[in-house]
Amino acid sequence: MSGLFKARNEVALVGFAHSKVVRRADRPLGVTAVETARAAIADAGLSVDMIDGFVSSPLLPTSGDHQVEDGVTTVTSAWLSQHIGADPAYAVGFQGIGQLTGSLSIAINAIASGACDYVLFHRALHNPQGGYNDSAMSQARGAMQWAAPQGFFGAMPAIAMAYNEYCQRYGATREAMAHLVVEARKNGARIPWSVWNGKPLTVDQYMAEEMIFEPMCRLDADMPVEGVACFVLTSAERARDLPHRPVYVSGFANGYPRKNRTMIHWTLDDMMEAGDDLSARLWENCGLGPQDIDIPQLYDGFSPFVYIWLESLGFCKRGAAHEFILSGGIDSDRADSLPVMSGGGAIGNGRMHGVPQMLECYLQLSGRAGERQRERATTGLACHSTPHFGGVVVYSNDPG
Amino acid sequence: MPVPDEQSAPFWKAASDHVLTVAKCSKCDQATLPPDLTCPHCHSTAPDFRFVPVEGGARIRTWAVIRRSFLSGFKVPFVLVDAELDAYPDLRLIGQLLDGADAKLSIGAPVVVEFEDLAPGISVPAFRLKVAA
Repeated sequence: MSGLFKARNEVALVGFAHSKVVRRADRPLGVTAVETARAAIADAGLSVDMIDGFVSSPLLPTSGDHQVEDGVTTVTSAWLSQHIGADPAYAVGFQGIGQLTGSLSIAINAIASGACDYVLFHRALHNPQGGYNDSAMSQARGAMQWAAPQGFFGAMPAIAMAYNEYCQRYGATREAMAHLVVEARKNGARIPWSVWNGKPLTVDQYMAEEMIFEPMCRLDADMPVEGVACFVLTSAERARDLPHRPVYVSGFANGYPRKNRTMIHWTLDDMMEAGDDLSARLWENCGLGPQDIDIPQLYDGFSPFVYIWLESLGFCKRGAAHEFILSGGIDSDRADSLPVMSGGGAIGNGRMHGVPQMLECYLQLSGRAGERQRERATTGLACHSTPHFGGVVVYSNDPG
Repeated sequence: MPVPDEQSAPFWKAASDHVLTVAKCSKCDQATLPPDLTCPHCHSTAPDFRFVPVEGGARIRTWAVIRRSFLSGFKVPFVLVDAELDAYPDLRLIGQLLDGADAKLSIGAPVVVEFEDLAPGISVPAFRLKVAA
């Protein structure tokens, strides 16, 4: 497939709701999901009986020893549609690592093709008891036998190695990363539902943190949380009659791994090569370029991913992201900046996967960002995961 | 502790003799590590990998110092090294560095594969910095 997305600006986001993001919840995730979904449907000016499509990605993204139970540790679309009392024609989920953009692609295509009229799109994240990634495994079988015996386990060591390669190759300093994390927390501190609401961070606090996966520290990873976000999608035509300004989908692209690697071995070059490829497909798909995007929202579940996205999407030259950040290039308080963390990202909101990026695009482009509203907000872009597992969706509030 | 299976048994048998092997596809003869269910090069569904010995020379691509282990049984800190094999630069092997957490490292630094004996008959690959002759 090549050329412009055939359904360019024909599918719209028309409403949302976001639960409070908490470290530990005092009730089951599914209950919060039902309430958040009801709120989103009402926000869009619709009723539950009108929702004929449910789309999500239910993965509990942990390497640790945790049971998976629908409605408790994950929430599938089938579970949600049943428990909210809907009668959908279409309830599907995405299985994979780039959960948000992967499942959103399914939702967009469902509306574009006419498979359903109104989609309730959700992501529910659970924070299990005990260490998030801790495992008592002593016997490494299958794919794990090639990694765990060496102590290579969980995502952090692999990301720390890729990030170290970036630092060594391009001379990136820890101070540059401090500025990125501080920017994410600054914006997250301004978001009412964020787990970090009212809790900004200083560069000194970041620099004082022990590097548990040197050169990465705890603050370079988003914190596991419990929270639910819901969005309602429909066609541009139906969106005209609804209460909020529609935000249209201009295009999207997803990436996939190409090389045989030891599991979880995400290398810098694999991510960069996939980024170049994904970027070319994305810009062709939406008919725009990096210079056209007002609200770029880059994924930061692990902070080094922001460098990769900044450079892959063409916002910075290869190897220059760290200098750009250090010189204030992403400071959302500057009118001339590239506000890539204005929505707080995962580091500023908690581990809501690609939700903060998507939500910031929706809020800014629909004019619903309140005190944080930016003047120039016609186009936006939201990433999730890395270019070799995740993807990017481009939005506009001007259907042309 | 690795649990060898039908496919990986020759690799772990060689490892217990402190010999590094790579998997070669019986259809296209290209090398891979770790072995996959299909050949990553020719995509054969019956790669019937042969494990052939390979020189243990490698170069550091990158590394990280691990001070918190998600897995129990590992003494921290330790250094994880991602190195590409001299004989097959496309193949990357991850292992612990046996020189300790304070060793001075750089990209491209030469290392050699050595083996850590975990239990009788079970050894896992690791790296040691190659000292200039």
